[in-house]
Amino acid sequence: MASPLLSVRDLTTVIRTEGIEFEVVRGVSFDMYPNEILGLVGESGCGKTMTALSVMGLIPSPAARIAGGRVLFGDRDLVSLGERAMREVRGDDISMIFQDPLTSLDPMFTIGHLLTEVIRRHRSVSRSEAEAMALQALTEVELPDPETRMSQYPHQLSGGMRQRVMIAMALMLDPDILIADEPTTALDVTVQAQILDRLLGQQRRRGMSMLLITHDLGVVAAVADRVAVMYSGEIVEQAPVTQLFSDPQHPYTQGLLRAVPQTRHQRGALHTIPGRVPPPQFVPPGCPFSPRCSQALVRCWEEHPELVPDDGRHLRCFNPQPLAPA
Amino acid sequence: MRYLASRTVYMLVILAISSVAVFYAIRLSGGDATAARLPASATEADRETLREVLGLNDPIYQQYFTYMGRLLSGDLGNSLTNNALISKMVVEHGRNSIILGAAAFLLVFLVGVPLGMLASVRRNTLADQGIMSLSVAGMAVPNFWLALLSIWLFASVLGWLPSAGCCEPRQLILPAIVLAAEGTALTVRMTRSAMLENLDSDWVRTLRAGGLSEARVIGKHVFRNALIPIISLAGLRIGQIVGYALIVEVIFGWPGLGQVLVNAVLRRDYPVAQFFSLVLVVMVVLGNWLADLGYLAANPRLRKT
Repeated sequence: MASPLLSVRDLTTVIRTEGIEFEVVRGVSFDMYPNEILGLVGESGCGKTMTALSVMGLIPSPAARIAGGRVLFGDRDLVSLGERAMREVRGDDISMIFQDPLTSLDPMFTIGHLLTEVIRRHRSVSRSEAEAMALQALTEVELPDPETRMSQYPHQLSGGMRQRVMIAMALMLDPDILIADEPTTALDVTVQAQILDRLLGQQRRRGMSMLLITHDLGVVAAVADRVAVMYSGEIVEQAPVTQLFSDPQHPYTQGLLRAVPQTRHQRGALHTIPGRVPPPQFVPPGCPFSPRCSQALVRCWEEHPELVPDDGRHLRCFNPQPLAPA
Repeated sequence: MRYLASRTVYMLVILAISSVAVFYAIRLSGGDATAARLPASATEADRETLREVLGLNDPIYQQYFTYMGRLLSGDLGNSLTNNALISKMVVEHGRNSIILGAAAFLLVFLVGVPLGMLASVRRNTLADQGIMSLSVAGMAVPNFWLALLSIWLFASVLGWLPSAGCCEPRQLILPAIVLAAEGTALTVRMTRSAMLENLDSDWVRTLRAGGLSEARVIGKHVFRNALIPIISLAGLRIGQIVGYALIVEVIFGWPGLGQVLVNAVLRRDYPVAQFFSLVLVVMVVLGNWLADLGYLAANPRLRKT
């Protein structure tokens, strides 16, 4: 395999509330390669978004800070890179798309203004050249009637159109890496497929590396090349997509897959994982999943498992069992 | 555009209602209008003749229409006390009031908005707490007391500024600051909260993800959004300044509309009191209307519908 474009190593991010710091991202490591989609899945509150914001250097300050680890991009470590240099990277080398397109665009400025402002931040081009670039980007994401949209305000566009604008903004400077944080969650089901399709097409065409954050396993199965499963701030299993879906090893991954409704099975109660994600203040000392795990051993309650590589897969579990047929 | 039309109709209705209210209120306040014009030795017959001449014996609604008719044709009448032309008094004292009011209005925004922005950017630091404490003081201290206090300190003790008078720039400083104090304090608080509210928006993260600097994100985008509530409340600040001008002008001996009005009321000088009350009402209503226009102009979500 080619050398990674971005390497996250032992990334740890802490949040401080009422004077107490606790870890929301705990020793996360993963690699991103060119022309590849890495899916990052997990329940709400498991640290997916905080991981992405840590990579971007956009964690809410001063409430949160990166307490350790590195984010290697080329020959630079983004964690120790200064804010000024980091601003050069953001939007140009690494871009990000957010979950809610309705609230993610400044309502006081036109689409054209917002796009050209970012272009002129990174490229020394004239206003009209920037406008041409913005128009080109809007055309590429198949936003209907792009010339008119340039002079419109965000409130005049639908949610799906606004997400296309967000994608155009993220892609217009040809970034090496795109982080998409739940890009379709807030949209209508019919629009979701279109947006995902647009995103995927652009990723393939540009040979870009993409981190797709989602809790929708169907989306991951359809588009991702590799998948990392997060639980309670750590990656518990990481594998190529076919391997993960055909032979999940971690009991949490197995639970997630069984929780997906299957139309071909008989009707009845949907499978659920008992309990919920522990809040970061109260992570159990052993395996954080042990309180909810049906196959936990005494060791799981006492010792914290490491993420162990094994034949292209990484697994953090003392007692993996094959998935019982549903 | 419908918004603009409805605001304008609303303004005209308010003006009509308040002109009636002002007219009745002055006649209900008791006292004898002839006392202003005639010497104390005048007989009851003389007073009755004068009342007849001035139309004071007509029913009030009839007096109202006669008065409004004259007003709209440009005849503002004369003062009862010294027979001065009211139109001349308006020009002379109006200019002074506009100077003082405009100075106070500028102070409110040129001081209030930057301080509020500073407090929001330095949230929960010493600077923020200092600014917010000052603003609490600015709202809590009644302006007549602040006026007396500032005269005592800057005129009597330190001797830096004159205590009263018109119309040197040095004489403008104290009354303008006192007049602006409460509005500035409110504007600081409002700017701070509007900035903080917008700083938490999702789109701030989008702009940062685009690599824009904090100066751009906050100074341009967040500020532009925070400006909407600031503009819409500018109308209230105008009303506040007009109202407080009565007190502040009297204390500092600043010969503006407020001072004339207070004197006219004390002397039962109906035509003057009536007209100057109306002028203040018009200024307040017009100020609110202008703020509505500004709100419309500043907010793209209202502009095209």
